[in-house]
Amino acid sequence: MAEAEVGDDVKGEDPTVNDLQKTAAEMFGMEAALFVPSGTMGNLIAVMAHCRDAPLAGVHATTVTTRPDGSFDLKQLESKIRHGYPDPHYPRSRLICVENTHNIQGGRVLPLHFLQDVRALADQHGLALHMDGARVMNAAVAQGVPVAAILQHVHTASVCLSKGLGAPVGSVLAGPQDFISRAVRCRKALGGGMRQAGIIAAAGKLSLQEMVGRLEEDHHNVKTFAQALIDCQPPLFAVDMAAVETNILRFRVEDPTLSPEEFCARMGQVGEGEEAALGQGIQVLMYPHVENSIRAVWHLGISPEDTQLAIQKMQFVASQHLKGKVETQ
Amino acid sequence: MSLRAFPRLFLRPRQQLRARGSARGYYNTGGARYAGPGGAVHLRVVDLRSDTVTKPGPAMRRAMAEAEVGDDVKGEDPTVNDLQKTAAEMFGMEAALFVPSGTMGNLIAVMAHCRERGDEMIVGDLSHLHVYEQGGSAQLAGVHATTVTTRPDGSFDLKQLESKIRHGYPDPHYPRSRLICVENTHNIQGGRVLPLHFLQDVRALADQHGLALHMDGARVMNAAVAQGVPVAAILQHVHTASVCLSKGLGAPVGSVLAGPQDFISRAVRCRKALGGGMRQAGIIAAAGKLSLQEMVGRLEEDHHNVKTFAQALIDCQPPLFAVDMAAVETNILRFRVEDPTLSPEEFCARMGQVGEGEEAALGQGIQVLMYPHVENSIRAVWHLGISPEDTQLAIQKMQFVASQHLKGKVETQ
Repeated sequence: MAEAEVGDDVKGEDPTVNDLQKTAAEMFGMEAALFVPSGTMGNLIAVMAHCRDAPLAGVHATTVTTRPDGSFDLKQLESKIRHGYPDPHYPRSRLICVENTHNIQGGRVLPLHFLQDVRALADQHGLALHMDGARVMNAAVAQGVPVAAILQHVHTASVCLSKGLGAPVGSVLAGPQDFISRAVRCRKALGGGMRQAGIIAAAGKLSLQEMVGRLEEDHHNVKTFAQALIDCQPPLFAVDMAAVETNILRFRVEDPTLSPEEFCARMGQVGEGEEAALGQGIQVLMYPHVENSIRAVWHLGISPEDTQLAIQKMQFVASQHLKGKVETQ
Repeated sequence: MSLRAFPRLFLRPRQQLRARGSARGYYNTGGARYAGPGGAVHLRVVDLRSDTVTKPGPAMRRAMAEAEVGDDVKGEDPTVNDLQKTAAEMFGMEAALFVPSGTMGNLIAVMAHCRERGDEMIVGDLSHLHVYEQGGSAQLAGVHATTVTTRPDGSFDLKQLESKIRHGYPDPHYPRSRLICVENTHNIQGGRVLPLHFLQDVRALADQHGLALHMDGARVMNAAVAQGVPVAAILQHVHTASVCLSKGLGAPVGSVLAGPQDFISRAVRCRKALGGGMRQAGIIAAAGKLSLQEMVGRLEEDHHNVKTFAQALIDCQPPLFAVDMAAVETNILRFRVEDPTLSPEEFCARMGQVGEGEEAALGQGIQVLMYPHVENSIRAVWHLGISPEDTQLAIQKMQFVASQHLKGKVETQ
């Protein structure tokens, strides 16, 4: 970043940004790519650029049910496609969005055949297919395929450089050249037209070229912790190991007397007697999540040793909770 | 070697460091230099297209490389927090928000001030917000804009402004007026500084009618330097302001939006929705902090260089150019070519190319980049990348182009 050659990117004159965009397009098997300040903007631009004739308020969204693996039921998806246009009652369906890996469902990897099927459906009905690929590199590593093998099934994708890939800022939106040309305009209107952005694009390039392979370590650390949850005696936690695919873990506390909020609070504090029992205080930060679950995310800042500390802390909290239950009986 | 064969490239100015009357060496001065086949310097580029081309110097690069960072979406980036606090204090505002661009700063301001469907804003007809931001206030924020005529000094006629304020609400025919936007310095009018009494009067009008007043202060630091006042003395008259760090102040990316705390709290949400929620943004905020603390005073040099060039235009004999020196206040110059046989486009093209006989006449090729502008004028912008020496080169080139043009006219007579 310190040594990055820069120019005015709004004029298209930042060589480091241009280099990142070219690198990303090639890696993703897309015609072109655009560096944006965030994945939120990447997705928003995709909606704006796919749904172009939205003249009034915005783009109407209809939803499909998300299955545990992040995919949709294809029949339900097909049923949501509008056929009444141009009857004025009906919107015109323009775009399907998929998310890979799926965040809320716990870092789930979309099966390639599902992507193939959605794309076939989209093509059949003349819809575009956009992927929120914030963590698509995790999917590629988990599936053992080049990311282009995943992205070939979509028209456009937004890919984050700033999460597991470690860059400080930014995402890349990729797709056909005419889409990206429209996306440049959308980005400017939204206020994403940065000037000497090569400073941060330089980090983004390293993200794509050097930081993908190590995601495997994060996936491994997650599985180590997940197994420790399962092995906890007496059993306190529920984890579906088959659903632990990438760097996000969802699990439940199977004891109604210990809520997700309480568990996260205890994991995040240094409790009484902890330093004596563990030799040090350990604060493990995680969030309560939907449907009474808890979400924990591994990344380059969490080593195997940190993972062991988290396990120790989890075991301590579990034993303290059970001790408390016994004492109140 | 034939000069016709000399490549007329549009060259990318490369970074160069040169102490320029200051040991700080924060900024790159001087245009790019390109060596010809013999190793001699054949070509200089003086880029007067805009102050958006400024690049960070060694101190900024160092600050960025060493910046402490965190997840700014969670509010945990200490460098961003520090920049925002510094900016708020400097601007005399309660709070501030780092955003990726001035366009986003203005758009967020519109969204956060005009929160209800049917709100209306009043802007100058020549404001950047209205002309160059792709209609984002309508396209994205859904806010109707009505305009007032912009006077040459960037200000408005107060009676006309007052006439645009709606009084019919809640009658369903009428929008509800919510916001007035001013621009300081005024870009299209040529870097004009809004008079402080004008700001005072607009604020009084806004208060009287319960409207908010936002300043597109992309170049407000230039105004402060030109007026010899602290920027807070200007910004005290507005509720909110968007101030660019990435133009004359030299940061690579970003602006700061400042205002009351509740406004900034809403602005954080707008920023996230627009996709401006960056993560470890302290990398770039570190440069922004230097912008505010170290890069304001030197703007005076840019203003001085502009006046030098403007005077040379006036002094050109025979007279070819029209400049209103009283209107040359900051780092943007607007001038006209007073000869109908030389259009602004042609003049800019000739200034930007290395013409026949030029290297012989001037000792080197000089490319001076500037843009044709509204109302048949030409716009040139000075910034930290343009030294007094570059300004002299631009003057030489201008004189050369002028003499070539007159020679051409004489020959065709």
